[in-house]
Order: sequence, then C-alpha cells, then structure tokens
Amino acid sequence: MISRRALELATAVLTGSFGAVVVVSSLDNGIGWSSSGVDAGTFPFLTGIIVVLGSLYNLVRGVLPAASLASVPIAITPLELRRLAGLFVPAAIFVAAIPLLGMYLASAGYVFAVLAIPRHQSVPRALAMAAATALGLYVVFERIFQVSLPHGALASALGV
Amino acid sequence: MENLQELLHGFTIAVTVPHLLLMAVGVLLGILVGVLPGLGAPNGVSLLLPLTFGMQPVSAIILLSSMYWGALFGGSVTSILFNIPGEPSSVATTFDGYPMARDGRPTTALATAFGSAAFGALIGVILITFLASWVAQVALAFGSPEYFAVYFLAFASFVGMGGAAPIKTVVALAIGFAIAAIGIDTVSGSVRLTMGIDELVKGVNFVVAVMGLFGIGELLVAVEEEFHARAVSSKIDWREVFRAVGRLPRHSVALLRSAAIGCWMGITPGGPTAASFMSYGIARRFSRRGRHFGTGEVEGIISPETADHAAGTSALLPMLSLGIPGSATAAVMMGGLMIWGLNPGPMLFVDQKDFVWGLIASMYVGNIVAVALVLLTVPVFAALMRIPFVVIAPLIVIICVVGAYSVSNSYLDVVMMLGFGIVGYLFKKLFYPLAPLVLAIVIGDKAEDAFRQSMLLSKGSLGIFFANKLVTCLIVGGIALLLLPLVLQLARLLRKPAPSTDETTSREKVII
Repeated sequence: MISRRALELATAVLTGSFGAVVVVSSLDNGIGWSSSGVDAGTFPFLTGIIVVLGSLYNLVRGVLPAASLASVPIAITPLELRRLAGLFVPAAIFVAAIPLLGMYLASAGYVFAVLAIPRHQSVPRALAMAAATALGLYVVFERIFQVSLPHGALASALGV
Repeated sequence: MENLQELLHGFTIAVTVPHLLLMAVGVLLGILVGVLPGLGAPNGVSLLLPLTFGMQPVSAIILLSSMYWGALFGGSVTSILFNIPGEPSSVATTFDGYPMARDGRPTTALATAFGSAAFGALIGVILITFLASWVAQVALAFGSPEYFAVYFLAFASFVGMGGAAPIKTVVALAIGFAIAAIGIDTVSGSVRLTMGIDELVKGVNFVVAVMGLFGIGELLVAVEEEFHARAVSSKIDWREVFRAVGRLPRHSVALLRSAAIGCWMGITPGGPTAASFMSYGIARRFSRRGRHFGTGEVEGIISPETADHAAGTSALLPMLSLGIPGSATAAVMMGGLMIWGLNPGPMLFVDQKDFVWGLIASMYVGNIVAVALVLLTVPVFAALMRIPFVVIAPLIVIICVVGAYSVSNSYLDVVMMLGFGIVGYLFKKLFYPLAPLVLAIVIGDKAEDAFRQSMLLSKGSLGIFFANKLVTCLIVGGIALLLLPLVLQLARLLRKPAPSTDETTSREKVII
C-alpha cells in the first residue's frame, strides 16, 4: 500500500532532483550576460531554479496534512499495485529484450507471455495473436512505410 | 470577403478524392483511439506522425486533424454507451449521457451529443475562418519582445486558468522548458544538458515524450481499475437521430453559451477538458432543470459536448496564426508542422495559403465526414469495447514502443519513452497537468529564442517588455494571470473557510 503522501513526496523529490541536475549542468554553459547576449545556460538555469523551488513547495505541501490530502489518504492499494506491476514489468522486460531479440521476436514473445502465462487466453490463441502482431508490424512498417525496425543482435549473429 | 474567396479556394483543395479518403481514414482511426481508453487524441496523432513525413503538408495535416475530430467524437461514444470516457475531455459527457442511454434512449443521447458537438465544431471553424487571418495580420508586425510576451501570456494562462494546483503547473511547465533546452542550443551552437550522454545531443523529441506521458502513463492509470464494459444497446434508430437533432434548436441558449465557453477556452490554452467541465458546471447552475442534472438531462449532454468540440477546434486558431497551440493535441500537430518544414505562425498566411485554407476548408468537410462515419460505425466500435483490456494493453505498449523508435531510429528514445510513462503516471495520479508540459517541450525553444533576441535588442534591459502599449498589456495580463490563483486563495482566506470540495470537483480534478 502506498499512501498519497508518500507518492507526493517521491514525485516532488524526483522533480526536484531533475531541477537540481539542470541547474548544475547549465552552469557549464555559463549563465548571465556575455558579449554575444544572454548566455546559453541562463534560460535552463532559471527553469531549473523554478523546478527546484516548486518541488520544495510541493514537498512541504505533501508533508503537511492538508484537507485535500486527507480526503484521499491512499493512492495505490496493494491490488492496484499488483495490476500496475503486471502491466509495467512485462513491458520493461519487452523493451530490455529489443536490442537482443529485435522488435519482431520481442513483441511476439511479449504478447504471448502476457496472454498465455496469466491464462487470459488459451495457448494456441495466444500463439496466433503473437504471430499476428509480429506479422502486422512487419507488413505495416517494413513493407508499406519502409521504416526499418531493429532486427536484434541475435538475428545479425545468425546472419539473417 | 477576401476570406471567403480564400476559403472557396481551400475547398477546391480539400474536396478531392484523395483528401476525402484521407479524411475518412483519419476519422476512423480517430474514433478508434477515441474509443480505446488507453489511447487519446494527443498520442493517436503522434503515433500517426512518423507516417506523414513523406506526405504533402496539406495532406498530412488533413489526415491528422481528421483524426483529431474522430477522436473527439469517439470519446463521446464510450462515455455514453459504457460510462467509460475514452478521452479526458468527454468525462463530463458521462454525467448525463450514460444515464440517458441506460434509460433506454441511447440513440437520443448519441444523436444529441453528435449534433451539439457538430454545432460546437462549426462555431469553432467559423471563428477560425474570420479571425485567424486577422490575428495573423496583427502578428506579422510582432517583434521578438511581442512574441515573448504572447508566449508568456499563454504559459501564464495555464497557471491562472488551468484548474490544476498552480505550483504543480509551474513545475510541469519548467520541466518542459528544461527538456526543450536539451541538445544543441540554436543561438550559440553549444551543447546543453546532455549529462554526458552523447545521443542526447539531438535533443528529446516531443513525440517520444507524448507517447510516454499520454500513452504508457494513461495505460498505467487505466489498468488500476478493472474495466467492466457493460454496454447498453448500441443499436441506432435512424428516425430518432433526426428527431433528436431537430429538437436541438430548442436549447439554443445552452448551445450558444457552451460554444462561447469552448471557443474562449480553446483560444486561451485552457483546453477541451477544462472547457467541457466549465460548460457543464455553468449549465447546471443556470438551467431551470439544474436539479435534474445527472439523471439524463438533454442540456447536460449538449453543454459539455458543444464546449468540448468548440474548444478542440478553436485550439487550432492560435496554433495557425501565432504558432502557439491551444491544446496538447494542437501542440503535437504543431510539432508535425515544424517537421514538415513549415514555420507555424503568421507567415503561414502569407507563404502557405494553400496549406492554411486547405486545412480550414477541410475542417468543415472533416466534421461532416466525422458525424456521418461515427453514426454509421457506432455498433462496430461498441463491439470493439468488448475486447478485454488485457489484450488491448500490450498492443498499445507495442504501438508506443514502435512509435518512439521510428521517430529517429534510436533505442534510447524507447527507454526514455518508458521513463516518460512513469512520469506521466505519477503526474496524472497527483494532478500535475500534462498539457503545459507538452506545450513547453514543443515551443520552449521558440520562447527562449524570443527572450534572448529581445535581450540582444535591448542590450540586456528588461525595459523592452514595457516599451510599447501592446507588449506592456500582454506582459501585465500574463503577470495578472500568474497572480490570479494567489489572489483567489487570499480572497478565500478572508472570507470564512470554504466548504470542502464535493464529489464532482474531486472527480473533475482527477482528469485535468
């Protein structure tokens, strides 16, 4: 179970650290005024400062029990968390597998795994859908629109 | 009158067989993304974007804008038949649309929604026809300070009128600016904010951001609650369609009021979602039958639908004439314009007459095509809703992954897209607004350039933003909008403590 407060805090820390990174790295480009006008780092520097300050404000608002927070104390219930993970984890594995397997194999495997392993569909139907997905991608992108999708390290190792 | 001539010329471009076919394809794809809960108009349009790179700009924009109309209509279909809004902007349609459909009048609800939506869109297009070239003419005289002032006003109006927590809007905007700054700086040529990753030199493409923020983010929000598609009958009774549309003029006050709200919210970047809620709220307050709202009132369907479409259409006005999109989808389309080599802004009306008037004419035709197609295909798309979510979700993930990859054949883009997905989920969950974030990513560079050029003109003095009446008005208006939330807060404190937010407002907040 994740409380609304924890989620607010985590997000404020996330945005704040992004802002801090922006501030620090824009210093390399120089901030302020030079012979060629406003320096390249100035604008990012200012936006970074705004992000940091705004995140601090959101952080404080998240810690203080405000009325709006009290009305929804729980942001994500355990069941919802499981559903989220059920969608996101396979998607992340799918993306991680693309450099090795290529887009076609990875997406076919992804569709098959998501449908067959939790038994949402029977194995033959899941197989058919997986094959149809890969074929559809191939026809639409490689054939019709001539966009080459990654074929993967495995395919090039096998010399396909 | 000159406008009418140009418009007629535009019709000769828009009403050709290939363009009519493109409209039909666009509308059908639009209804599809509108109906599917994980996909919306902004990511539908950005998914289609890589496929338009080889097309003529006018054909490409007709395809994309038709998809936009289709998505606006499609969102209402599921709102009414399933009580599941396919689009954030059609949430308000569920309040009265679904009860009416459940009471055995689905055709009446759908026809009323489409009829008033078409009316809203028509008012929006008429506004564009007569106002856009005039605004562009005024804008032709703009220098960098004026441009920066207009950008400033646009961003400030998100903070002042967006409806989300003002500081969260500011954070979202500033993050967008920082993302826009990543890569090579157009003024000095130096490389910025790459954090040591060489591939980031080319910058972060907004398509990647949109795909993650709206596509994956929305999917993650959608998966939390299990969908139960309990459809009411989706059979269309054609006689009832005409009867329902024929009854619309009786509600002309509501129609006109909602269209006005929609146009206003579309031109200032409030967006269709805020427009539909505002229109519904005002209708409930002023209607004589306000107490019956929520049980299937006709005006409860008319008000949000008219405002939604009026806002969606008129959001293209500032995009065309000033280069400032009025909604997230318009921001994506504007990104497309830049990719096709066009420069959005007043010069379009001088250099690209065919493009501009072809697009405006196609809006008239496209909306007619959309109404016809959506009525014909309601049963088909309603059947589509019965496909379980577990099957649709991986397909949407794959579409987003392939879309992000195909923008510039980069695997890093795919990984970033997934990262944007998490950000999109967190932001949606915690009511950070996404539209200003996307807007800042798309036009952040231009705003920065305008600022730096103004500073060059004035040799570093901010006084240039108060140098003449126009610029002063725009800047002061922007500052006023920025301070508006603060003033409202103070006013609320001075009065007695306000009653806590009721159920509708908490629901309204969820989707903004």
